[in-house]
Amino acid sequence: MKMKIVIAGAGEVGTHLAKMLSKEKHDIILMDEDSEKLHQISSHIDLLTVTGYANSIRDLQEAGTQDADLFIAVTPFEDRNIVACLIAKDLGAKRTVARVNNGEFLNPHNRARFTKFGVDEIIYPENLAAKEIVNSIKQVGTREMIEFSGGKLILMGIKVRGNAPIVNRTMEDISLTDEAIRTVAISRENKVFIPRGKSVILNGDIVFFITNKANKDQIFNLCGKKIYEIKNIMILGGSRIAQKAVEKLGDQYHIKIIEYDRDRSIRLAGKLRNALVIHGDGRNMELLKEESLEKMDAFVAVTGNSETNILSCQLAKSIGVKRTIAEIENIDFLNMAEEMGIGSIINKKLLAASYIYKYTMGTSVSQVKCLTASDADVFEFEVKNESKITSKPLRELSFPEDAIVGGVIRGDKGFVATGDTQIKIGDLVVVFALTSAISKIEKFFN
Amino acid sequence: MNFKLIFRTLGLLLIVEGIAMFLALIVALIYNGTDVIALCQSALICMGTGGILFFVFRNTGKEMGKREGFVIVSLVWVLFSFFGSLPFILSHTIPDLTNAFFETMSGFTTTGSSILNDIESLPNGILFWRSMTQWLGGMGIIVLSLAILPIFGIGGMQLFSAEVPGPVADKLSPRIQATAKKLWVIYFIFTVAEMLLLWIGGMSFFDAINHSFTTMATGGYSTKQASIAYWSSPFIQYVIIFFMVVAGTNFTVSYLMLTGKFRKAIQNEELKYYLFFISVFTLIIFGGLLISNELGFEQSFRDALFQVVSILTTTGYATADYLHWTPFLTIVLFAVFFFGGSAGSTGGGLKIMRIVLLLKNSYYELHRLIHPKAIIPVRFNQKPVSDQIITNVLAFFMFYFVIFFSSSVLLMLVVPDLPSAMGAVATSLGNIGPGLGIFGPAENFSALHPAGKWFLSFLMLLGRLELFTVLVLFSPAFWKR
Repeated sequence: MKMKIVIAGAGEVGTHLAKMLSKEKHDIILMDEDSEKLHQISSHIDLLTVTGYANSIRDLQEAGTQDADLFIAVTPFEDRNIVACLIAKDLGAKRTVARVNNGEFLNPHNRARFTKFGVDEIIYPENLAAKEIVNSIKQVGTREMIEFSGGKLILMGIKVRGNAPIVNRTMEDISLTDEAIRTVAISRENKVFIPRGKSVILNGDIVFFITNKANKDQIFNLCGKKIYEIKNIMILGGSRIAQKAVEKLGDQYHIKIIEYDRDRSIRLAGKLRNALVIHGDGRNMELLKEESLEKMDAFVAVTGNSETNILSCQLAKSIGVKRTIAEIENIDFLNMAEEMGIGSIINKKLLAASYIYKYTMGTSVSQVKCLTASDADVFEFEVKNESKITSKPLRELSFPEDAIVGGVIRGDKGFVATGDTQIKIGDLVVVFALTSAISKIEKFFN
Repeated sequence: MNFKLIFRTLGLLLIVEGIAMFLALIVALIYNGTDVIALCQSALICMGTGGILFFVFRNTGKEMGKREGFVIVSLVWVLFSFFGSLPFILSHTIPDLTNAFFETMSGFTTTGSSILNDIESLPNGILFWRSMTQWLGGMGIIVLSLAILPIFGIGGMQLFSAEVPGPVADKLSPRIQATAKKLWVIYFIFTVAEMLLLWIGGMSFFDAINHSFTTMATGGYSTKQASIAYWSSPFIQYVIIFFMVVAGTNFTVSYLMLTGKFRKAIQNEELKYYLFFISVFTLIIFGGLLISNELGFEQSFRDALFQVVSILTTTGYATADYLHWTPFLTIVLFAVFFFGGSAGSTGGGLKIMRIVLLLKNSYYELHRLIHPKAIIPVRFNQKPVSDQIITNVLAFFMFYFVIFFSSSVLLMLVVPDLPSAMGAVATSLGNIGPGLGIFGPAENFSALHPAGKWFLSFLMLLGRLELFTVLVLFSPAFWKR
């Protein structure tokens, strides 16, 4: 479905969204007050740019907000975003999304208030990033881990090393060993592809599996990963992401936060009772040793500086910390960091963008996740009525080459899809797709 | 440089040209002229070559860079002119390649300078093709292809901005393809409207189509040797004046008008200056003609208005020979050679917007002398214009005049007098049509030395693509990795 989407704020989230959405035949109008920046963007993305302020009624009208299907306010200022959404809704925008910096707004019983104002959806990128960190701490051994319908199906992306039993084996071999596991994609040298029967897994690949909870350990065995428990965590940088993450992690971990700024350290220490706040420079090796970095099970680098995060994770890794997580805001660094072997990469923009992306996908999509550092997305489609996907078993459907049905959730059971699987109305279908396939697969569900 | 991609795109565009030739073929068939076979052959050669190029290089990535964009756009105009001259050569109406190429390049670039001595003797199919080159070139080959072919992807933008450079880009729609479609729809509507009016005014249906093609393109080819002077009807002349003005108006403004947003349209600053310049020059020449000639009030006014609009919009039709006016009026009209239409119109020349920006900037420079620390931005449409754009316009202006003067001198190698040389260069660079001296509106370019014809063809291309797109190909930096 072609939509008219107005994005206010050509920051990193806005630009990334615009880029992603313009690839899919949507009409994008990007607003910002910096005309130079817009000029840059419009020379390589096919969109319309409007120079203006997100909270100016005239500028919003100029951008055509009155007949927009989706209005997204992602300027760096929360209040401006909210005001922009109010105006946009009043002008006639069908759905509005505002980016906020305040966790209180996310609270479910405050949501009704915002809907009443005219802000339909709220995103808080730091909160998304914190969630992601908590996930990757809880899921040791994986690069990426996405749960569908509360874990009835799981997508796991695992980096395969030379010691793994599945290295140098074909897809056919793997499906023979276990029917409840489906290999949906392989990322090799920063390129993602969908493996076919004869494709071979090589050392260094990141392999994406779909399975259900019961078979998780089986996958770890196949990939030669040992499961270890995480107890001690060191977090570098007391940013909002760190704060949120610590709040979510709870009391079962020993957490140390290293923060450079003294005032901020004091504030953090006052707020967070389940973490030890240390005031000091995280780039100082002595300090890290003193705080026994080598005894840590996980190291999370979330300072505002991507370079510091990458390098300190690398350092932690060399000392022997098994799980490293780095926040990397510079999109060009993502591929490099992936190659360097940093366990998980957090990027606020991609997280926010894929979250918003869901709203452009029509009602049949219930969940979307863009994979970090690759041109691929995972969708959860809700099959609401008769459509192409329900007509025949998967084998006979001529599903696009660059996408694959991973699994199906029917009732409260999730199972892995095979060629013989017949999709029925009411199913939730997990689809793994390269970016090039998205518009093609949408047709199967509408 | 991705040459495969370049060839593939060129192949595809040639197919489009072949299709356009088929339209001319249909006209030839209707009139059952002597040109049927020539047009048929040309169309097949065009589509065949295009098809082969496209087929051989079909497997290339679609990601197009800025460099590829410049190369494709420059090359496609040259290639179109070569293949477009086939009908003239094969039908022996213009047997010589130099002449045929000159005529076609003059067509596609909407210049309208001709080498034909007896236009009426050409068969209708060929005449239609001649007008068609202008109509296609007017809105732009790339813009047309973008509108009808859905396959350029992101690369389409690189091509669009190389073909429609302008000081600032105006998009009618978020999508480049939708923008191209809208532009062509507006173009088409105006063309049909003019055609109907001319037909009602007494032109034959065939002449009405041809003239509406070449008016809306600000081209200036006529099906008559005497140009518009052939029709003495004031109604026809006023209709043509009106549509020349429309063609020289920014199409974004026309779009606003057509969609009923008049207030926004008339607020456009460029439109105001454009109409202002037309009025001022018309008044001067009108006054001059009243004093020096004895044509009567209405005809003096009409002649003045027609010539000014025709030259200012870079169309190049003639209803009067301005070389026979008093020298003062000829010189005033020669000044109009350097104005051109609005940005985002089919007109060529320096473009009104650039001239206004230059004048404003120069005027503010005086303010800046008095208040050295003051920040005085140049405003256009109430908005400050970035320094980058001003620098770009200054560079354009500089290039334009360096090229104008050096080319005039160079052309003196084959042209007997300075006015003729300057007129020929100004008219080619500005895509106007008639020049001065021996290339006046009553004359043509057939007597020019072949080298001069090739040189002027090159200047037309330079002017049509607004200098930078072509010039950048000659800069060493472009070819360095």
